[in-house]
Amino acid sequence: MQSHLLYIDPGSGSYLVQVIIAAILGALFYFKSLWWKIKSFFTKNKKDDRAENDQDHG
Amino acid sequence: MVNYPHHPASFRDPSGFVFRANDGFYRQVNPSYAEDYECLMNSGLYRALTEKGLLIPHTEIPENLSGSPDWYKTLHPLQLPFISYAYEWSFDQLRDAALLTLRIMGMAMDHGMILKDATPFNIQFHKGKPVFIDTLSFEKHVVTRPWVAYRQFCECFLYPLYLEHYKGLGPQKILTAWPEGIPAGVTAGLLPLKSCLNVGVWMHIRLQNMIGPGAGQRSRGQRKGAQEVSSEGKAGTGQGGFSQQKLRHLVQNLETIVKGLRPKAATNSTWNNYYGTTILSRDYLDEKTKIFRQFIGSIPFTSALDIGSNEGFFSRILAEKNVRVLAVDSDPACIADLYRTVREKNIPNILPLCIDLSNPSPAIGFRNAERSSFTERARAELVIALALVHHLVLTKNIPFADIADYLTSLTTDYLIIEFVPLEDEKAQELIRNKETFHKPYDAASFKEQLARHFSIEREAPVPGTARILFLMKKREA
Repeated sequence: MQSHLLYIDPGSGSYLVQVIIAAILGALFYFKSLWWKIKSFFTKNKKDDRAENDQDHG
Repeated sequence: MVNYPHHPASFRDPSGFVFRANDGFYRQVNPSYAEDYECLMNSGLYRALTEKGLLIPHTEIPENLSGSPDWYKTLHPLQLPFISYAYEWSFDQLRDAALLTLRIMGMAMDHGMILKDATPFNIQFHKGKPVFIDTLSFEKHVVTRPWVAYRQFCECFLYPLYLEHYKGLGPQKILTAWPEGIPAGVTAGLLPLKSCLNVGVWMHIRLQNMIGPGAGQRSRGQRKGAQEVSSEGKAGTGQGGFSQQKLRHLVQNLETIVKGLRPKAATNSTWNNYYGTTILSRDYLDEKTKIFRQFIGSIPFTSALDIGSNEGFFSRILAEKNVRVLAVDSDPACIADLYRTVREKNIPNILPLCIDLSNPSPAIGFRNAERSSFTERARAELVIALALVHHLVLTKNIPFADIADYLTSLTTDYLIIEFVPLEDEKAQELIRNKETFHKPYDAASFKEQLARHFSIEREAPVPGTARILFLMKKREA
């Protein structure tokens, strides 16, 4: 009954898997880079503050 | 007229084939692969890969050597002295081969190409490092298509590595049983429950198991989706399909996962750290080393096979003489240690392999001719078998006569062998609860059986023990 499945391109399953994985990884990558942007925004400010403070003390 | 038929393992890829002429191995490129071959050579990819030692270099021979009518080019690749297979590699070797495959894939993408297959049979160890040997594995990248070799990469590299990482199931056993890769379904069944929490396992194994071919009948929608994606990919329309960026994410993700995997079995091996803790004593090792050095200093040889090498103490002494050394042991943890040493200390002339002498790798594949057996491949001018024979006789119940016959087939000239008598404490450990083994087990019968094939050149008792080292020369047949 299911023998027709043997004739489906054996790659088709892995193609769909790759599309899904790529979507997940794409989303992760997006959030990761967003997180880094937010983080660097704050750390940069902090560094700037420190640099300014250092200058004040210097 | 066909002068040379293809190598028995080189018939699957219509792009070309490997054949053996009188003076070595050649690779023919067929006209159907001409466009991809020129792209490999002209895009700068070949140069980039060979300069880094990742791909085997070749020279083009302007002659149809094979005599096949379907001819485009003849390549003469760098000749490798020994061919090994993934089911003989330690975990680290398989992992390095996986990382090499992904690195080459990444570099190929930089040059508008991809790897069309991803099997460990495309990789060999040369001068201590993995090198890609299939020059015809590259094809032009259609950016809307996912990676055609993704599933193969998972089944041949990723799943065996995961199974060792989580369960300690050696990749050697897995790849012996499934030489072309273990399916996602079997892998999923073998992994522990806690692996479900791992995103990589979920994406690359469980998801693939859910959607793999044959799994489509579970849900009509799923199968329909699979077919749509497949036809889109092929047609290259790209709607909802793939992109260069997505493929890069996938390859990078696989690389991150593979780098994070570790062998589980390393901590509880039988022979690991043998020389550190298990061995009789430091004096014994010093005395044995002294005799061993005298023996190898007195004979000419260019290749050596160390059977029962353990962590390769004596292989490294052999390697100092700039000869090619093949070090084999049945304990994957020892071979893994030796491979790490070879890699870290940059010892290019030792190749460590996981081989059980009582059950060496068989000849497998179509006509039993695709991958030859270990016995067919392993030939050396000098074979050394130190502290091994008592294990073969007392544990594996192999008679002296059969051991002598087998050693004769492995060495072309010399044999250095150690006899461990029954009164030795290590031999006593082996027979503590065992009465059935081949008798008489003594030096006289040992010598008698070996003397059928070898002349005994030197015989040296190891001071402080009852063990004896022999240097033997193979008799002319």
